[in-house]
Amino acid sequence: MAKKKKVILPPQLPPEIPEEEIEVSDEDLDFVNENQEYAGFLTNLDANLINRHVTRVAGHKEDELEALYEKQKKKAALKRAKGEEGLEIERVDALPIKTLEGELRYRTAIEDSRVNVVPTENDSTSEVKDSDKGLIRPTKAERRKLLKKSKKEAKRQAKVEATDAQAEGVLHSEVLAKVEEDLSAEALFSRKKIKLAEIGMAMLENPELNINLLKELLHICGDEDHNIVKLGIMSLLAVFKDIIPGYRIRLPTAKELEMKVSKEVKQTRFYESTLLSSYKAYLLKLISLEKDPSFHCAVVRCICTLLDAVPHFNFRETLLAVVVRNMSSSDDVIRKLCCETIISIFTNEGKHGGQVTFDAVQLIAELVKTHDCQLHPESIEVFLSLIFDEELGKSEPIKKEKEKSKKKKRKQNPGQSNQFLMSESKRMKYELMTKTREELSADLKSVSFAPDINERRRMQSEILSAIFQTYFRVLKRSMAPSSPRPMVNDASLSSGLGPHPLLGPCLAGLGKFSHLIDLDFMGDLMVCLKKLAGYSYSPTDSSLSSLTVSEKLQCCIVAFRVMRNNLDALNVDLQGFFVQLYKLLLEYRPFRDCGDVLVEALKTMLWEGKQHDMHRAAAFVKRLATFALSFGSPEAMAALVTLKHLLIKNSKCRNLLENDPGGGSLSGLVVKYNPDASDPNLSGALSSVLWELSLLAKHYNPSISAMASSISNMASLNSSQAQPYLSTTSPLEAFKDLNIEQELSKLVRKAHTIKHKGRRGGEFVISDSGHVRSIENAFDVDLLKSKFDEHFAVIREFEENGRLRSELNSTSSSLRLYEEYKKEKNIKPNPKQKPKPNRKKKRA
Amino acid sequence: MRPLDEKETTAVFEKLFKFTGTNLKHIVERPATEGPDDPPGRYCFRLHKNRVYYASESLVRRATNVSRDRLVAVGTCIGKFTKSGAFHLTVHSLDLLAAHARHKIWLKPTAEMSFLYGNSVLKGGLARITDNTHSGDGVVVFSMSDVPLGFGVAARSTQDCRKVDANSIVVNHQADIGEYLRNEDDL
Repeated sequence: MAKKKKVILPPQLPPEIPEEEIEVSDEDLDFVNENQEYAGFLTNLDANLINRHVTRVAGHKEDELEALYEKQKKKAALKRAKGEEGLEIERVDALPIKTLEGELRYRTAIEDSRVNVVPTENDSTSEVKDSDKGLIRPTKAERRKLLKKSKKEAKRQAKVEATDAQAEGVLHSEVLAKVEEDLSAEALFSRKKIKLAEIGMAMLENPELNINLLKELLHICGDEDHNIVKLGIMSLLAVFKDIIPGYRIRLPTAKELEMKVSKEVKQTRFYESTLLSSYKAYLLKLISLEKDPSFHCAVVRCICTLLDAVPHFNFRETLLAVVVRNMSSSDDVIRKLCCETIISIFTNEGKHGGQVTFDAVQLIAELVKTHDCQLHPESIEVFLSLIFDEELGKSEPIKKEKEKSKKKKRKQNPGQSNQFLMSESKRMKYELMTKTREELSADLKSVSFAPDINERRRMQSEILSAIFQTYFRVLKRSMAPSSPRPMVNDASLSSGLGPHPLLGPCLAGLGKFSHLIDLDFMGDLMVCLKKLAGYSYSPTDSSLSSLTVSEKLQCCIVAFRVMRNNLDALNVDLQGFFVQLYKLLLEYRPFRDCGDVLVEALKTMLWEGKQHDMHRAAAFVKRLATFALSFGSPEAMAALVTLKHLLIKNSKCRNLLENDPGGGSLSGLVVKYNPDASDPNLSGALSSVLWELSLLAKHYNPSISAMASSISNMASLNSSQAQPYLSTTSPLEAFKDLNIEQELSKLVRKAHTIKHKGRRGGEFVISDSGHVRSIENAFDVDLLKSKFDEHFAVIREFEENGRLRSELNSTSSSLRLYEEYKKEKNIKPNPKQKPKPNRKKKRA
Repeated sequence: MRPLDEKETTAVFEKLFKFTGTNLKHIVERPATEGPDDPPGRYCFRLHKNRVYYASESLVRRATNVSRDRLVAVGTCIGKFTKSGAFHLTVHSLDLLAAHARHKIWLKPTAEMSFLYGNSVLKGGLARITDNTHSGDGVVVFSMSDVPLGFGVAARSTQDCRKVDANSIVVNHQADIGEYLRNEDDL
């Protein structure tokens, strides 16, 4: 193996070892005797070996190195054969290049030693020691023959390395093939790797000079080995990332090419065109590789990085198309990569002046259209990171007006002054000045880098329209009756998406950009949302029940956001959505639906809303109280906070707190509370009593019971006193606080029940709040800590166990594989070859 | 006093439907609160001297004891038939409509007085409006403290309301509680 390496790699300087130290071990001798074939091969090989050495070194530029090497050789040989031949000593000093004879002789000295060395050689380090054995030197004729032969060989060898297999005999070529197979993976791979690194370094050192190396790199990318290709495209990526200029390259036209230019310009042109063409070739390569599943991830990574780094450069449309196409990939990594790239494009608009943003938005809109809204939600979520310059739309018209007025003034002023004050020559002068000024400003505009403000405005409005088009498409798709759904459902369910995967991010986006929606769309949007929220004018129409409660709630929230953001237009009372919320409160299930969404809805619709109908407020107060009774403490707390807020805002609703079921004159036409009513206005809640509060005052959770009793005390306060109690915590905060608390208390309770199970059995019932509180107080921190420690230790042990098991499995499987391999090949197991079967298996 | 015939019933219900929409069902079906009957009866419509009254069944039964020419009113008057046969809602029906209204608007305090003098509601006086109102719908007008002030017909939809200038009419006046003073004799 080592010898083979020596054949390939440039020769190293053999270490100078005194001959006493080197001994031929018995093992070596045995080995040589055993492997006669090898020895024969060596005899065949010897000439090549040496020749290659010589020619290679001679062909090299570094003559000094060669000389040094030769000298050392000589010295070593001469020391040993001291006094044997006087001539030889003289030749040491002779320079090899001077004459043909001198050169020849010079070489023979080495050859002699080598020729004799080779037959017995089995290790590269032992080559020197055997030279003293070969005392029988070939005659001059023999030497010449050998040399001629070697020269011929050398010529052939110098061309391509691959041809050396042909030059060698059949026997050893066979052996070589075997050896090469062994080596190809490691040696070839590392060689190519090194080459890649070298080229890359050269490129980065001086891109102008070494631009042609790009082609070589591209050539490497066409390799058969997948790893090499991967490395190739990666290193090309790194190179391109560094050398791509900060501007877009425009290839010179034919006319421009004809013109005579300076050398520097020519050079730059050549550089740019080469860069561009190889970049194009690289992209083509990437795109062709993208279809190959084994390269997919690497290629997408490359493309994403490129697009992120140089979004201004040529061919960005191609990159963008690939990235957008992969945005809804089923592979999490790829999808995330693509989405992050798009987001970075959206947020770093300065890099490319907004054009790419526009393209990306349009491509995504196209994507949504073609896939009929059956995409991963993340592909729409990227819109949320878009930034719109609101000043852009507003400030412009004013400016224009100002300019106009200025122009008018200017026109008027000179006119007047011309008539009365200025002479003819002055007027001429003035006109000339204005003319040049205008020309100058025009030039400045064309040169300045910043895009025109009108251009930007146009782009922004088009981006907006593309986004809203997408959003409305999604809404429309979600609203569509379920006739074609069964088929689509199968597809979407199989890919792990719900029936309306895009609805969530779409609603979020509508909420975020609601202030940019044109008022003309608003009416349609509201109708859409209302339908989605489940509101139907006729009770028979119930085709839209496919949305979950959370989604419906989200629709309500978005509608409110949209309305609130456009409040300056008109204060609209969203009766329909309140009806929906009233209904949805009953449909809520704590573990099926998202509590956050519900609380968010409570916050936006009830807590933040400014005015409420008295009847409606009363109905909601009543329903929230009922709701608080039946669900967990976080929800109950949020409901109570909202309830309190409503009671504070609507002083008339505080009649509910009185212990009088009549409701008095306020109850309106509906005299009896109707808990099933769908319309809050007709529920007659004012004629009922909030008896739920007294139950809630005995709630096991101390904060809820405190809240409930504080609310029931509100009845005794008059309106002026109630004002300071206007609480600042929103339902959302209250919900989150209690949610965390509940999670903690769950753990505590679990530990507690485990501990007391043996003693108490089924006796432990959480009914008395005081009892529970005393239990909770009884826990001291240390006990808790020790329990946690125990628990986590057990968990860690489990993990460790699992890991060890999997390790064992993999080891045993690899052992089994190896056994099979051994049986197949019938080869005596060799520890060096042990990893080989694994590798082969992997490749297969 | 007699029940309404088919044509009259249609006219009355059409008018009421404009204001209440599907809530009309609740008006017809709601249980009566007056009278000793158990179970409570329904409310019904009766025509008396060209006026339509909304009264509970028990009340109507008791009213039969009074002779026709001496009977002034029974229950709540909700409207009257004109000589040409058209039905007009009067201001007395306001409470009924307000409880079941589908479309509402709320007036700014500054605009209340103008409306109570019988003028139409202008955009400038509009504080709040129910979503999804169309022009031609019946609208009940409230003050900001939720006191019903009257009713009318929407002149513009909610969408149009956003764009029009402050002096354009939003709701055409039909009736308001100011009539109790202005037209005391007629009522």
